[in-house]
Amino acid sequence: MNRIAFQNLGKRYGKQWALRGVSAAFAEGEVVMVIGPNGSGKTTLIKCLLGLVRSTEGSIAVNGTVIGTDPSYRAAIGYMPQLAEFPKELTVEQLLRMMNDIRGARSGSTDDRLIASLGVDALLDKRISNLSGGMRQKVSAVLAFRYRPNILVLDEPTAGLDPISAGTLLEAVLHARRNGATVLITSHIMEEVQRLGDRVAYLQDGLLRFALPPETITEVTGESVLSIALPKYLAQLSPVHVEGL
Amino acid sequence: MWKVYKYTLLDLARNRFALGYAFLLLLVSLGLFLLEGDDTKALISLTQVVLALTPLLALVFTIIYFYNQYEFTVLLAVQPLRRQAILRAQFLAITTALVVSFLFGVGLPVIAWTSNAIGWTLLLTGTALTAVFCALGISIAVRQRDRAKAVGVGLVTWVLMVLVYDSLLLWLLFTFSEYPIEPVIVPLAALNPIDLSRILIMLKIDLAALLGYTGAVYQHFFGSFGGMVVSFLALLLWTVLPAWGAVRAFVRKDL
Repeated sequence: MNRIAFQNLGKRYGKQWALRGVSAAFAEGEVVMVIGPNGSGKTTLIKCLLGLVRSTEGSIAVNGTVIGTDPSYRAAIGYMPQLAEFPKELTVEQLLRMMNDIRGARSGSTDDRLIASLGVDALLDKRISNLSGGMRQKVSAVLAFRYRPNILVLDEPTAGLDPISAGTLLEAVLHARRNGATVLITSHIMEEVQRLGDRVAYLQDGLLRFALPPETITEVTGESVLSIALPKYLAQLSPVHVEGL
Repeated sequence: MWKVYKYTLLDLARNRFALGYAFLLLLVSLGLFLLEGDDTKALISLTQVVLALTPLLALVFTIIYFYNQYEFTVLLAVQPLRRQAILRAQFLAITTALVVSFLFGVGLPVIAWTSNAIGWTLLLTGTALTAVFCALGISIAVRQRDRAKAVGVGLVTWVLMVLVYDSLLLWLLFTFSEYPIEPVIVPLAALNPIDLSRILIMLKIDLAALLGYTGAVYQHFFGSFGGMVVSFLALLLWTVLPAWGAVRAFVRKDL
């Protein structure tokens, strides 16, 4: 079953198209690495999925239902933004309680493993204003995974995290995949892309150029390292070529 | 909506600016009542401070708080919540926090020194003005992408309402002094929430007599019970319309 399906999705800001004609479907248990140059449309694509940005054309189906103005579909989504900001005067515990209230989570229904493994349990009584950027990222990761979403959207999730915490987070991604979650990750770290991605969705100038397994790209180019294979693969594509959708 | 309201209010309860605002008002109020021998004169001075300071701080604080919370607001918008509920909750929480600060800083001294109709009118109009300018602030913040530009628009709005509008009314009064312009001035004054508040307090202090025919016209309209109701309805409209517009804009906005 497709968890996420983009159908001819387009978004225009003024006269400028940020996304154009994006069609792709992502299945359950699939990790999709969304990559592309700055300004290629990655953030816009994710924002359309999250309902933060209204598409100009096309549609998005989440868990089989085309999304509209009803926000209830977002109960199935966990989101970790690139920049984690929370109300500064709340403690971490109050923030977690707030999100529990909003999500209507009952006691014991949440996945709290990341709280311990990322060391957030030691921060519970601390105010957000006293946390470093990395600590806030950890809290953000906890919130994204906590409500057992079947879709995870992670925007540069390891940026700002120490290597051990980044490893813990990537393990959590793999665990979510084993449990059938569909995970969309934007990243500029090609080792991460190659290691985690079942498919790599490459956006350029608002167009989805391809959504292929990393192995396909490395095999076609004869390069074992994705960061070397990717430019070679792109050079082989015609400007409007779209593959693997 | 109430879940977001509750935690936003909790955040605001520890906000240094909101606390500082409460203590600044308390300091000014206490200073005026303690230094001025005549309580009514102190109340008149306090009215001038409230009419200028309350709108300015409500506007600027609302705009800055909205921008400080922007990333978190985006995170809330990704939860299974309606956007209307998020913005309404934030607006109500900011208004509640500033009204509580106002009632602490001005309310307590006023009740202690002049617990009469004048004092209560000042508290009512101060509360109403806080709500009006929080609504205007959120309306400006939602529509502007840039924080500095939003603060600029807020300051211009404040200057227009506190200074420019009054100057225009005065100019009208002088220019058409040979005509019976007062009945026109009454609705024009009511169009500005700060002027409207000033008139309501002035009538309670009985300063209207000093304004001659204009004062009599004000007294005739605003002094009646119906006039008071219409005035507070006008202030309510000044709150509801910008807040409603802000929610509408926020729902349609790309975040």
